[in-house]
Amino acid sequence: MNANTPADEPHGDIVDLLGDYLDRGEQPPRELLENSPENDLAFAALVRMREVAATLVEIDADGSGEPEDDGWVQNILGSIQREVRSGRSIPLTHPSPRAELSLTEGAVRGLVRAAGDSVDGVLIGRCSIEGDVGTPHAPVVVRVEASVFWGERIPELAERLRAAIGAALLQHTELAVEAIDVIVTDVHLRRSSPADTPAAAAESETAVADERPVAPHEEGTAE
Amino acid sequence: MYAPPPSPGPLADAPDRILAGRAADGDTRAFEVLVRRHGGLVRAYATRILGGATDADDVVQETFITAWDKLPGLDDLSAVRSWLMRIANRKALDRIRSRHPDVPIEDWDDPAPAEEGPDRQAEAGSRRASLIAALDRMPDAQRQCWVMKEVGGLAYDEIAEELGVPPSTVRGLLARARRRLMTEMEEWR
Repeated sequence: MNANTPADEPHGDIVDLLGDYLDRGEQPPRELLENSPENDLAFAALVRMREVAATLVEIDADGSGEPEDDGWVQNILGSIQREVRSGRSIPLTHPSPRAELSLTEGAVRGLVRAAGDSVDGVLIGRCSIEGDVGTPHAPVVVRVEASVFWGERIPELAERLRAAIGAALLQHTELAVEAIDVIVTDVHLRRSSPADTPAAAAESETAVADERPVAPHEEGTAE
Repeated sequence: MYAPPPSPGPLADAPDRILAGRAADGDTRAFEVLVRRHGGLVRAYATRILGGATDADDVVQETFITAWDKLPGLDDLSAVRSWLMRIANRKALDRIRSRHPDVPIEDWDDPAPAEEGPDRQAEAGSRRASLIAALDRMPDAQRQCWVMKEVGGLAYDEIAEELGVPPSTVRGLLARARRRLMTEMEEWR
């Protein structure tokens, strides 16, 4: 073939070239490796380097070097700005015409989360309230992302979630909720109580776009 | 009776996307789970970029505080882990820059930290330890490029942007780092 014979290029350039293939996630052309044991070894070395690189943070992240005490977590939590999430102001009617009462959007999201957490088998993620919440009785749509535990029936759970959120919003706000959209973005395992985790063979009735269980093999599949 | 009080609850099982979404909405408990889940990784990554554990705690702290502030603007919530690494990367580079005001990155070169001696010996023999030792001996800029590429998974132009140098410089630094490691790796076999 018309390969402009890299064999007589200086060693450094071939490392560049092979590194480019590695970085693009491509296998170098066969002739590049087969015609030169040196290139072959160099590419193998680059691949091995990448493998060891992966262990560089994995093992550290296991907790070695991580302070035993919780101080660092508490320091972080103590330093974050909690007020920044209040969002829009949502009016509430008050018996006295001279008093103004309102809820923050952040507080309403908190209500939605709490309602969602009361439903077993599902966890709520991001929540958005779409519509003109500043105008009383203007229609709004509540949209929540959710993750369901592996093996749960998604349509039923979504329905229970909708009911719980709707009830909470009706009780605590005056929002004219037109719809509650539940978007199931994940399916996850219960890591904390593996006894409850159904075998991975459980038939999946998941019509879910974005399915990524967190720990696919809880019980070791050692061979 | 049944619920042990300090249990992290079901949130500990939640996927990153769910936790990040909740944290973006202001849920500090979800954020705490994210901090615990990825704190070790952020620390490890920062340590590699910095070339030692000095300042790593500060980088971890700054990374998560920034993450909390910026989370509402994160489009792909499921990518929170690699996003945290990016922030950590930037914070660590800021640290290094402040150690070398007005010096171009090609010339950054801190002396290898002496403080980690005993640790190193305990790990001696493993390939990972050899790699860490080799990285410690490497000039700062080469090491950072290599770590960003191989550990952080950044693309050339992303690394170039983070470092404020042309991609061709990154390519050169990375190639030099690789060549150097390949030479040292001959001892591993």
